[in-house]
Amino acid sequence: MTQLELQQRGVLNLLKSRGTPPRDPWLRLVEGSRELAMLRKIAIWWRTFQIEAQCRQTSRLLKRLGSFEALVTDYFNRNATSPFIEELSRSFLRSLEQHYDPVVRAVSQLEYAALNAQAGLPVACEILWDRHPDLVCRAIESGAELPPAEPDCFYRLRISGSQPFTLTCTRESTLEVS
Amino acid sequence: MPGFEAAFGGRHMPALATTYEGGDPALLERLVELVDLLEIAPDTIVGSERGQYILRPEVLDEYAGVSSRVGLIAHGIGLSIGSFDQWNHDYLRLLDELFARFDLLWHSEHLACTVVAGESLGTMLSMPRTQEALDLVSRRVELLQKLYPVPFLLEHVIQILPDAPAEFTPAGFLNAIASRTGCGLVLDVYNLECDSHNQGLNIHAFLDELNLAAVVEMHLAGGVQYEGFQLDIHSSITHESTVTLACEIVRRAPNLRAVTFEYLKEAVGLLGHDAICGELQRLRQTVLPQAVLQ
Repeated sequence: MTQLELQQRGVLNLLKSRGTPPRDPWLRLVEGSRELAMLRKIAIWWRTFQIEAQCRQTSRLLKRLGSFEALVTDYFNRNATSPFIEELSRSFLRSLEQHYDPVVRAVSQLEYAALNAQAGLPVACEILWDRHPDLVCRAIESGAELPPAEPDCFYRLRISGSQPFTLTCTRESTLEVS
Repeated sequence: MPGFEAAFGGRHMPALATTYEGGDPALLERLVELVDLLEIAPDTIVGSERGQYILRPEVLDEYAGVSSRVGLIAHGIGLSIGSFDQWNHDYLRLLDELFARFDLLWHSEHLACTVVAGESLGTMLSMPRTQEALDLVSRRVELLQKLYPVPFLLEHVIQILPDAPAEFTPAGFLNAIASRTGCGLVLDVYNLECDSHNQGLNIHAFLDELNLAAVVEMHLAGGVQYEGFQLDIHSSITHESTVTLACEIVRRAPNLRAVTFEYLKEAVGLLGHDAICGELQRLRQTVLPQAVLQ
């Protein structure tokens, strides 16, 4: 491994808070430095900024839940993030597919489909909501309180076809799925 | 409209340039009345089509609409010319697309690493000033010079991390790349101030050592101080100290062709069109005339 590779891989690991403690003297100097902390802040600030611009609904929702910055940081540390904003945004949204909050899951999937549509990528998908999707989106947009979950039913939003896309939403009883 | 021909007709006043990233036609219309060149940052106008990165056609159309009135230059962010393994091939495809559409006067990139082993750092890492880094960057500069028919310039970036073991001084490293490859330099005056603040760079010693004949373009921008660091956020108009330093450099750089005021698209709302245009007028009146005072 050349010195350049050692340094660049080392900084990447330090920046993403992973890997084993470095043995190289310069990397050890960097490791605990305020300069590294600032570089990390800058990297995450840019990712936050870009994701916020591209994924408006999801980032608003996550901010409301107080978890936006933590999720972006976690995403940045765990993933090989793309330098291109569209890919970064899509990848971030995909990372929320398994989020514990069903509203976050649904909103991020909807926004993911929207970004795919803009990019000419396939958008066909089915998104399950535990409350009225339109009311959720309106509440996020306006800053109003989210509508409550509807325990006895769910909403199945289907996006299909190619442009113009077809959106259908059906309200179904939870008793029908098991 | 300021005379573009006059700006390039020999050693007169440098051209005035600024950033434009699309989507703001009212601003664009005002800018082309004030500047000679528009700087296109391909990375900032990327879209995608069926999974392929492309330059957003609607923004390219905006540039095309004004290309008879201003010259165009390209300034990359994400080539990652200093990555130990490989540079960013996606960026080169974007550059190919830009060259296929426009007659660019020159193109430039940051002397930095933004991708490591295929993974984005999310920021720019300055290069260690070593023989190994010099060899790597020089090879790639020479390749770029073969690939594209216009001059290529390199810009130094601010250094945040502690200085790595070095075999060259900051100016000496730039001189070595420029003399080995014949590439030009972009001198970012605000970056020098950041390095002075963050790293203790002696700007006057740096300028005394730098081969100022290699400087083809100068960048001006404003930034912020945050937690004791001075950062190149490009979020404000140029600080007075930066303008003063710029005037000195313009007097001393015999081959300077353009002075570019850079701002983030996202800062436009904060700054406002009037402030951006006022800044361009100020720079044209104060900085550019220094060239004929040398």
